Amino acid sequence: MSGFSVLLKKEWRENSRNFKVLWIPIAFIIFGILEPVTNHFLPEIMKSVGNMPEGADFQWPEFKGEDIFSSLLGQYQFIGILIIVLAFMGSISGERKNGTATLLYVRPLSYGHYFLSKWLVTNGVVLGSVWLGILAAWYYIEILFNHVDAWEVFAFIATYSIWIVFVVTVVLALSAWLPTGGAAGLAIFATLIFQIIDSLIGTYWTVSPWKVAIYATYWFQPNADMSDLWMSIIITVLFIIVLIIFGSSMAKRNASKTTV
Amino acid sequence: MSELATIPWNLIMPLLVLQLILMIVALVDVIRHQRTNGPFIMWIFIIVLGNLIGPIVYFIFGRRQA
Repeated sequence: MSGFSVLLKKEWRENSRNFKVLWIPIAFIIFGILEPVTNHFLPEIMKSVGNMPEGADFQWPEFKGEDIFSSLLGQYQFIGILIIVLAFMGSISGERKNGTATLLYVRPLSYGHYFLSKWLVTNGVVLGSVWLGILAAWYYIEILFNHVDAWEVFAFIATYSIWIVFVVTVVLALSAWLPTGGAAGLAIFATLIFQIIDSLIGTYWTVSPWKVAIYATYWFQPNADMSDLWMSIIITVLFIIVLIIFGSSMAKRNASKTTV
Repeated sequence: MSELATIPWNLIMPLLVLQLILMIVALVDVIRHQRTNGPFIMWIFIIVLGNLIGPIVYFIFGRRQA
């Protein structure tokens, strides 16, 4: 067990040395603040720079705080996921390439521990960032819009976190399997592109990990059907477990590919 | 100048401060290490001019891992 805590410490040190513990939370907080602020001032922004014709009277839709959470989710689903994929695409394949892995693999090391230490620290950094971002957005929504029930927000955050853990697991497992470029490409496909595919032809099935993020916003609707959500969460957790096992075995299989 | 006074600075301020922190950390990192993909002068311009995206792009693509 002492080996595992050493690996955890190594991961933490690496993530603070390359400033990931700093810039990823700040990026998520900025996007979290930007969304309510721009939505609140949209009519004024359009009036001053939108080049509206004289006397035009455009009815702005009345946004409620719950709608802002949904639009923030749309923002995180694209830019946020892109940041996660690009920031962590090389976390295992990059170590193989730059030789850090050589120093690790010559020691008696459990590849399960190796993968799990990366998984835990990466999830800690990413989930912390997403939580801080949503909390910052919540603060601004309370100021600029209406009061949103705390219970609904926490249910939303908890459900969305499962999707984030899924994304992190996909990125790390692919990074263990492929070189950095391939891992990034396939991870972007599996998280961003597949989301679009799932929303286009996914009307035929209601249970899938790619729908968890959309189901998270159902907490804000008073009487939405939650049965699909629970099934999707179970499927997502199963996916995560399978991907962790896949990732650990791939880290072991690719150990010989490390540069010495 | 009257338009400047109507901007709700107390709402915008946290955004500016966070962006500034991001920019300063990126700049200090570039100048201290100077190990970047491509000329580091170019990265300084990207960080300073590309207000929010600049530092993020630098941290993702510009930093060369030791």
